[in-house]
Amino acid sequence: MASYILKRILAAIGTLLIIMAITFFLMNAIPGNPFLSEKASPQAIELAFKKYGLDKPLIVQFRNYVSNYLHGDLGVSLKMQEGTDVAKILFQQGKFDLSIKLGISALVLAVLIGIPLGCIAAYRRGTWLDGLLRVMTTVGVAIPTFVLATLLLAVLAVQLRWLDPKSGSLTDFRSFIMPVISLSSYYICYVAKLTRTSMLDAINQDYIRTARAKGVKTRVLVLKHALRNSLIPVITYLGPVTAGIITGSFVVESTFQIPGLGKYFVQSVLNRDYPVIMATTVVLSALVIVMNLVVDIAYRLVDPRITLTNREG
Amino acid sequence: MKKILSLILALCLGLAMVGAVAEGDEFVLNVCVASEPETIDPNLANSVDAAMMTNHQFENLMKYAMTDENLTEDTTVFNTEVVLGQAASYEVSEDQTVYTFTLRDDIFWSDGEPVKAQDFVYSWKRLVNPDTASEYGYFLDHIVLNAAEIQAGEADPDTLAIEAVDDKTVKITLESPCAYFLSMCAFPSLMPIRQDVVEGSENWTDPANIVVNGAYKVTEWVHDSYIRMEPNEKYYDYENLGPDAIVWNLSDSETAILSSYQTGAWQFVDSFPTDMIETLRESGDCFINPYVGTYYLYLNCLKIEDWRVRAALTLAIDRDNIVENVTQGGQVPATGLVASGILDSAGNDFAYGNSELGDMYAWLSEAYPEADLETYSGRCELAQELYQAAVDEGAWDPDTTIVYNFNTSDTHKAIAEAVGSDWQTVLGINITLQNQEWATYTNGLGEHSFGVARLGWIADYNDAVTYLELMVTGQSNNYGVFSNPEYDDLIVKAKATLPGAERDEILYEAAELLYSEGGFPVAPLYFYTQPYCKVSTVDNVGFTSLGYFFFQYATEVA
Repeated sequence: MASYILKRILAAIGTLLIIMAITFFLMNAIPGNPFLSEKASPQAIELAFKKYGLDKPLIVQFRNYVSNYLHGDLGVSLKMQEGTDVAKILFQQGKFDLSIKLGISALVLAVLIGIPLGCIAAYRRGTWLDGLLRVMTTVGVAIPTFVLATLLLAVLAVQLRWLDPKSGSLTDFRSFIMPVISLSSYYICYVAKLTRTSMLDAINQDYIRTARAKGVKTRVLVLKHALRNSLIPVITYLGPVTAGIITGSFVVESTFQIPGLGKYFVQSVLNRDYPVIMATTVVLSALVIVMNLVVDIAYRLVDPRITLTNREG
Repeated sequence: MKKILSLILALCLGLAMVGAVAEGDEFVLNVCVASEPETIDPNLANSVDAAMMTNHQFENLMKYAMTDENLTEDTTVFNTEVVLGQAASYEVSEDQTVYTFTLRDDIFWSDGEPVKAQDFVYSWKRLVNPDTASEYGYFLDHIVLNAAEIQAGEADPDTLAIEAVDDKTVKITLESPCAYFLSMCAFPSLMPIRQDVVEGSENWTDPANIVVNGAYKVTEWVHDSYIRMEPNEKYYDYENLGPDAIVWNLSDSETAILSSYQTGAWQFVDSFPTDMIETLRESGDCFINPYVGTYYLYLNCLKIEDWRVRAALTLAIDRDNIVENVTQGGQVPATGLVASGILDSAGNDFAYGNSELGDMYAWLSEAYPEADLETYSGRCELAQELYQAAVDEGAWDPDTTIVYNFNTSDTHKAIAEAVGSDWQTVLGINITLQNQEWATYTNGLGEHSFGVARLGWIADYNDAVTYLELMVTGQSNNYGVFSNPEYDDLIVKAKATLPGAERDEILYEAAELLYSEGGFPVAPLYFYTQPYCKVSTVDNVGFTSLGYFFFQYATEVA
């Protein structure tokens, strides 16, 4: 296991370098630059290019990026927080913590509600309860996050005045309610649908029939035997989603005024804030790589028949 | 489980109550004017919201002070005028090129150090220094002696003609007389800053490092959430300041901003969904201030070469329809490039000073006296006549498709659709609308790769030159590549002429020339306005039509 993880970490470094190269050359290929505005003269733009070293050949800039990254220097923001260290923006202003706090809360809710709902729907297949849950989850998947978020804001904050419209730094339980519901709603419904489908597959397997014939109680049958096997597709889905969800949701953070990372993933591209684009991409990629590794290890835990070395081969 | 939940709820309620009590005795003014500013460094800041924050933290030689004039039916918001700020007095040389300011004796930085003439000299030189790479580095070009040469890298920043004669005397030498120089001396980019503070830390604008000479000082900055400012005890007028704290909430979600206002959490906001303006006006929350800015379309002279086609495009736009049904924010249909609110030396609104109809129609009304330029149908008739003449002479191919570029925004899109529809209906011109995100869009402007493109221009100071020089040959913002040597000469002449009737005449002539034979490089659509929502319990807010609100003397009324 240890050598497998070590190999994966080494491969991850190579992957990150390739991602950095692709991101770097792509972001420089798209038109525009960070300093364009109504009032910026070509001369002012040229001076800004010189100030931040953007006048150097691309290959030199890329070499500097890689070298600086190896020394832990992510550069400074060119636009969004001009002159501020990108590492400071991402990790020292509490944005990363905040997005993780929100993302993990939403994920936990998605798993705690989605999986049981899926199990219930599968177990009660064909009943009114299954029908109701199928309708609810289909609607839940179809409603865009911004619609749900705006609706919650209008009803719970503006009309009923139960909650503060600004969730801010998520310092108390009440501030979590609207953003977590908005962010997790889609995932709850999707996980429930996924669980239901894979649970139905599992329930029809021979070993379940055998267990049932042996008189194993239904609850034990579902929770112990069927659920474990039906979790593999859910885990496969949750792995990469986790990386995305914990790096923040632009819409939810913007609607509930949470100063998280989400904005920086979207706005850095629109603002051509090159160092922020690079840093957010690397952070997200690293998280995806880590989550994929976690998923692989989780496979082994839920299904001992899977061996990590075989998968590698 | 129930007990745990009850405990959590009780704790939350308790915490909320503690917060309310702590803020209860204070007058904390919660406002929202934009999202996170790129920077609050006066020399580097380039947005109106950052300028507003700068105006509260720093004070220049001149400053904006409230008058007793209300600009709208809102009797709690007052117009402002430029008066002496950190300067106690000033003298101007006979030829109006040398200004000597004497600083007040009672001015101090927030750390107790006296404000010195050298602090102004340092800031101004830092602004024009090419190494600073400020977007406003050009601001003093051809105004203060040597500024343009320094920006171009041809002279040392130390040669900028600003001098600290002694600790309390600043002497500035201009290239030529400048009618609006005193207004410039109140501009945020030129606020004094201290060299030891700026160079003493990497992030000198952080609350822990910043030292200010203005009324308020940032004490807390939660990035992308809020900036809290509290009164600066060292400010000479500290005793008369208003709020115990001004909290600048940072948000770009119009829905979220309006929600926070409607729940009473915020007392002032200037951004909210356009379709709510009417409802908010009816409820007495929303007011619309004049705002010196023009929304206009560049008509690319390289692609639409014949002036008659450009004139036809300009005339065929139904501006009343746009402001009444599309933008709905009380905007005023534009009658020229120079925004309403810019005054001539006699105090007349420049936009209408030369002709009641506006600059855009001054020459046309003389050249085509039979045309009815007062009505849209009359303007359309003239547009069709001019367009047909260009087509008949072979100067314009009627099958040409014009590409209309705009940057991503629901409003810009709706305006483009309305304008495109007018052109198609009135002139039968084929229009292709092209939506681009901001960076790609502005890049395209610089490359002149458009037929028509939108832009807005907010005045930096109250003088027609701020608009008219945009169309000078080779000027970086002349994206439509208009060129007329006669026009260029008029602008140069106006800039070198002392304020007065003669200068006004030159500027009016230039404005008219822009919309005469060979002209029509831009089609102005409307003059901006500044809608805002403010609770009625907050009084004494200042405003300048350059777009800045001032909250330092705001008071709370029952």
